[in-house]
Amino acid sequence: MEIKKLTIELLHEVMQLENQVFESEAWSERNMTAELSTQHSHYFGLFDQELIGYAGLRLSPQDYAADIQTIAIGKEHRGKGLGRTLMNRLIEVARANGSEKIFLEVKQSNSAAIELYKSLGFEQIDIRKNYYRPSGENALVMLKEITQPLILGIESSCDETGVGIVRGNRLLANALHSSMDEHAKYGGVVPEVAARAHLEAIEPTLNQALAQAGVELDEIDAIAVANGPGLAGALMVGIGAAKGLAVGSDKPIYAVNHLVAHVGADVLERGAVELPTIALLVSGGHTSLLLVRDLLDDVELLGETIDDAAGEAFDKVARVLGLPYPGGPEIDKAAESGDPAAIRFPRGLMLPKDMERNKYNFSFSGLKTAVARWVEKCEEANESYSTADVAASFREAVIDVLLTKALWACEEFGVPRLLLGGGVVANARLRQEAVRRCSEAGIELRIPRFSLCTDNGAMIAALGAQLVMSGRAPSSLGFGAESTLPVTVVQTP
Amino acid sequence: MLLSIDTTAGTSVAVFDGQKELSFIDNADPFGHAENIGDCLTEALASAGKRIAEVTEVLVGRGPASYTGLRVGIAAAKTIAASLGVPLRGVMVLDALAYQQPGKVLVTSDAKRRELFAATYENGLRLDGPFLTTSEQLGQFQDFRHLAGASDARLNAKFFASTSQDLSDSSPIYLRSPDVTPSKGKKVSG
Repeated sequence: MEIKKLTIELLHEVMQLENQVFESEAWSERNMTAELSTQHSHYFGLFDQELIGYAGLRLSPQDYAADIQTIAIGKEHRGKGLGRTLMNRLIEVARANGSEKIFLEVKQSNSAAIELYKSLGFEQIDIRKNYYRPSGENALVMLKEITQPLILGIESSCDETGVGIVRGNRLLANALHSSMDEHAKYGGVVPEVAARAHLEAIEPTLNQALAQAGVELDEIDAIAVANGPGLAGALMVGIGAAKGLAVGSDKPIYAVNHLVAHVGADVLERGAVELPTIALLVSGGHTSLLLVRDLLDDVELLGETIDDAAGEAFDKVARVLGLPYPGGPEIDKAAESGDPAAIRFPRGLMLPKDMERNKYNFSFSGLKTAVARWVEKCEEANESYSTADVAASFREAVIDVLLTKALWACEEFGVPRLLLGGGVVANARLRQEAVRRCSEAGIELRIPRFSLCTDNGAMIAALGAQLVMSGRAPSSLGFGAESTLPVTVVQTP
Repeated sequence: MLLSIDTTAGTSVAVFDGQKELSFIDNADPFGHAENIGDCLTEALASAGKRIAEVTEVLVGRGPASYTGLRVGIAAAKTIAASLGVPLRGVMVLDALAYQQPGKVLVTSDAKRRELFAATYENGLRLDGPFLTTSEQLGQFQDFRHLAGASDARLNAKFFASTSQDLSDSSPIYLRSPDVTPSKGKKVSG
């Protein structure tokens, strides 16, 4: 006997059983087709050679709720606990997806089923008179409440010290301390400066998060920490702090992937990350294009920068133009009055010869140099130039490459969704262009709120919560910082 | 009950009840602090037969030491003390090395990059330091007996049990500014 996810290919078998079990009250083939193919619906079949039972669940992620849609066991297979097996699977799925409530309706006369549901923790909360057709029988509405785990997440992979707290997929706190100002005089993030700042900030940030969430440390169910990719010395501060918390409060610890956490941040916006999705993560440290089919089990790196991260290019070009650090907002400001088509700066790795090996990789080093040469040439020739035009044209080149490649990925892999993350999404022009191009291409665009896009502890907590809710074992205490952790390692064991 | 944590050289953890050592775990790996800190903590507690909740005070080695490892121990000590709601104390580790050393002593430990962390003592009381020096410069300390070494959680705990020094500061002692030169300006190409 085995349980398998039901797909539309098995419609015929499902309808046979549906009609046998529910007779005159059976769903139509059309309804069943819709049920099996609707997003957020999870149907499972119980097979003993052939289909002998099935059950379905519909999630409402935004309400953190789930509905048991139906459960059917073939007449000759009843009384063997198969209904319980299927129900347990549905409860497991609801739990893993962050549901806090599971609802179901059952015929008032079906005492066997009601007993089963009660034994699984459901309680009657309502009665609907005259609910079933054509019999006119009453329905009992039953509810099972799930207490989702309270997870504290620590982020320290670059220059932001973040501590976030979530309950399941709900955001409770997102405290952040940035050492960006301390890096300003160096024109970029200095690893040792960042690591020192993390150590100073970690306890105040932790206390701030606990106060925001209104919880005490001993209420936390598990600790999550980013152990890569990122700056090793910076990551180690977060890891030390996380292990101290885990040992100090005797709680399990989950070492999670920083980049995958960026994708997972969207669960805090609408209770679920819609999958599959292409994710474009762009920051001072990363420029990565991911194909995510399953947040915990199937994340693929399609491409990344082969030299500078996009955010770094903004910082360096800002320096060329005499603008302060960090360069992103400054270039954005300077570009406002500029003409994005004034200068045609090069687009890296976009030529036909790049398609075989670098279709989804990025290169911004050549672009940065091209801008510098252009400016130097003007200065040497004593020609005046428009900073606004240079900024706008540079920004356009970066955005063009980022979005073109992201949309190529959507098309090639048949994924109708694009998620943006990382600090560079603060760039207004990037967001504006993303909206325009995605809408033209019929791609759903997701951009979590800015505080969830930049590095933050809440996204680490959220990914930790996903692992806990799915019943994954904690990491051992022996993990270390992995500065080049691949995206395929969502959790370090 | 004292939980003593030191990552100024290797990773070590000791559990003390007053002067009495209940356990001492030392992992000499000079690089694996982030990896080793968790297991050292749980092993030290297990070997002492104690639960973390029984800890009433946390002690940490503040350095001077190489930065990366040092921070792991201090970060862990901070959050353990915070989760238990107990005080955190810090030891300047050269003080622990000088503990119970009679006469005039120069205590040094390896600071890498051909430099030494150093401090001078008379009968265990610090005269000067900590400061950075080199072996070539040690000639000026002719009056002092030279003691070179590295501290650990056990030595720190013993020092802690006997000193009347104020140890309320647990911030790291680096003795070096972060290794950077501010950007030279805008020349990017070429």
